[in-house]
Amino acid sequence: MMSNGFEPKIVGFLCNWCSYTGADLAGTSRIKYATNLRVIRTMCSARIDPTFILKALLEGADGVLICGCHPGDCHYVEGNYKAMRRYPLLKRLLDAYGIENERVQLEWVSASEGRRFAEVVDRMTEQIKALGPCKVRTALAFDMAER
Amino acid sequence: MDTPKIGVYVCNCGTNIKKVVDCDEVAQQASEQPGVVCARSYKYMCSNPGQEMIIKDIQEQGLDRVVVSACSPRMHESTFRGALAKAGLNPYFLEMANIREQCSWVHTDPRAATDKATDLTRGAVRRVVFHEALEKRFVDMCPATLVIGGGITGLTAALELAESGNQVYLVEQSGRLGGNLANVDLTAPYLDSARDLIRERILRATRNPNITVFLDAKVESLDGYVGNFKAKVASAGGTVPVEIGSVVVATGYKPFDASRVKAFGHGTNPNVITSFEFEAMLRKGRILTDKGRPPRYVTVIHCVGSRSEEFHPYCSRVCCMTALKYGQEIKSALPDAFVYDLYIDMHAFGKGCEDFYKQASEIRTIFMMFQKNTAPQILPGGPKDDCEMFLRVDDKLSGEEVDIPTDLVVLMVGMEARDDSAEVARLVNISRDKDGWFIESHPKLDPVATTTDGVYIAGCCQSPKDINESVAQARAATARIMAKIAKGRIEVDAVFAEVNQDDCSGCRVCNDLCPYGAIDFNSETRRSNVISAMCKACGACVTACPSAAIKGRHFTDEQIFAQIEGVL
Repeated sequence: MMSNGFEPKIVGFLCNWCSYTGADLAGTSRIKYATNLRVIRTMCSARIDPTFILKALLEGADGVLICGCHPGDCHYVEGNYKAMRRYPLLKRLLDAYGIENERVQLEWVSASEGRRFAEVVDRMTEQIKALGPCKVRTALAFDMAER
Repeated sequence: MDTPKIGVYVCNCGTNIKKVVDCDEVAQQASEQPGVVCARSYKYMCSNPGQEMIIKDIQEQGLDRVVVSACSPRMHESTFRGALAKAGLNPYFLEMANIREQCSWVHTDPRAATDKATDLTRGAVRRVVFHEALEKRFVDMCPATLVIGGGITGLTAALELAESGNQVYLVEQSGRLGGNLANVDLTAPYLDSARDLIRERILRATRNPNITVFLDAKVESLDGYVGNFKAKVASAGGTVPVEIGSVVVATGYKPFDASRVKAFGHGTNPNVITSFEFEAMLRKGRILTDKGRPPRYVTVIHCVGSRSEEFHPYCSRVCCMTALKYGQEIKSALPDAFVYDLYIDMHAFGKGCEDFYKQASEIRTIFMMFQKNTAPQILPGGPKDDCEMFLRVDDKLSGEEVDIPTDLVVLMVGMEARDDSAEVARLVNISRDKDGWFIESHPKLDPVATTTDGVYIAGCCQSPKDINESVAQARAATARIMAKIAKGRIEVDAVFAEVNQDDCSGCRVCNDLCPYGAIDFNSETRRSNVISAMCKACGACVTACPSAAIKGRHFTDEQIFAQIEGVL
């Protein structure tokens, strides 16, 4: 594999009601998954500001996972739709910066989907491993030097 | 800001965390973070000595921030907030790192798990620096309650509340009270009449002036928040608005549709009936085959739709004892009849149930065990046979294939979530599990509350249960409600959004985003403003505000930025 021994760091933003609870269920069910995710809880996926994601990438994250309730199931009625609409705009922004847009992923995980949460983390970890380290910081440093 | 004094407490959770995560190392690493005054690892932080340790440090070392690295904040955040309050510190100066559910329970490599726990703890330490003291809010508690569902659970809840002097609105979807239990003859294991159990309650409920019963009715909408909900109930009499403080969801279950198991031929073979159809025969006192004669051989098949890979993986819990009950009822009505009981496993876990199982053997119910995920096969009887059909069973205990003569087959149909469970969940804003049952706040410690404050679940809408458990849950839910009514006002979370009036440009982007209509636009000042009692703190407006004028208390940008820096 090209990413030999590379262990990416992934920041996960999870909504409190569905996805964070789903992650807790993975824990209480003792479902094992990759150790690469660092979770930050927000009340709703609608609170996940695009600047949080950019901040995480700038601070050295190799990937960012956004999780919310399934469409139609939001604890706050429709917050997840707001997250869903912001997401493609953010992807376009990442493309413009030359950051592989697969580094940021949006997944719906309900409170009962502990197993699905574990699968999402494992799959994303493998994808980011294949991509290798995120170059955003070196790219920015180069940009600064050019100026 | 003065330099904060942070205490970090790493819980071992007995061995739950410690067996994978090196808690001493996590504490050691945390102690090197700026602002950390003390960092300790201890066996059980949630225990009294654990909390006392935190309180003592706050008081003696003058801590003004606390990080607890332990289980999920959904489990013990309120416990540790209580400890801070007891020590005289604002409870919102706490942050938890979840190193059990998100670490020791899901990882096996101690090195990687310890590194992750260290990162999560560092994130919490960085975040807690930016925490602010938040003041509690109180709202009035409306003493009326909306009970959805008029079965044994809903009736019990309604009576309990109404007989304590509180107003209840009882909404039943069908045209009569009693639910599924109204279709049952006797109950297991004491053979009490279901009719007696339910009729007395219906009479009491309909005669109680504190209970308004809506039949053929539906809750159209539910708005507001704990203590202050507004609902619209639609029935033949029109749509009625009601104001309530709490909601009990007791919508029950739906019997499994036996025709889905093609091999049994329910719906085509008139002598293959469901347990509910058999109850109707028992209530009429006429156990008959389609030819109008009493059956000589009755075969009862367990787990129809339950404990199966194809239909529902779970056990429906009441069918085993109901099946044993049929043995007793058949033998009592038709003493010469043979009763065959085909089961996968016999679940006789309740009080009095093992004795009931013994009684069933004593009256010579013939038990045969078949393999899970297989089904006994139905073969038609010939003109020379003295029975309608044969059931071919691969009997697990004797290891032999046996053909059982049968005139009447009773299928023990399991319970499943009602077809409208998704709609009800959305209406009252609660979640469902993979099988469609409503999810409780905590399976062991908070079994009737939900993630929506003031909305409770009781009975079979949460998962299959017997009458005893359903009644106990109904009473548990009402006890929770009456505790709130007794206080008169309720404390609500101090977390909500607020608009900085100086920064607000009056663009009104946030106004339509709020799902609760909690944002008010003042046309004189041309500024938006959040009505804090109506805000549920989702933060949608905070993120959307183009002027960054809205602050989401306890989830501020700077708190989350600091946490991002910390975990990386």
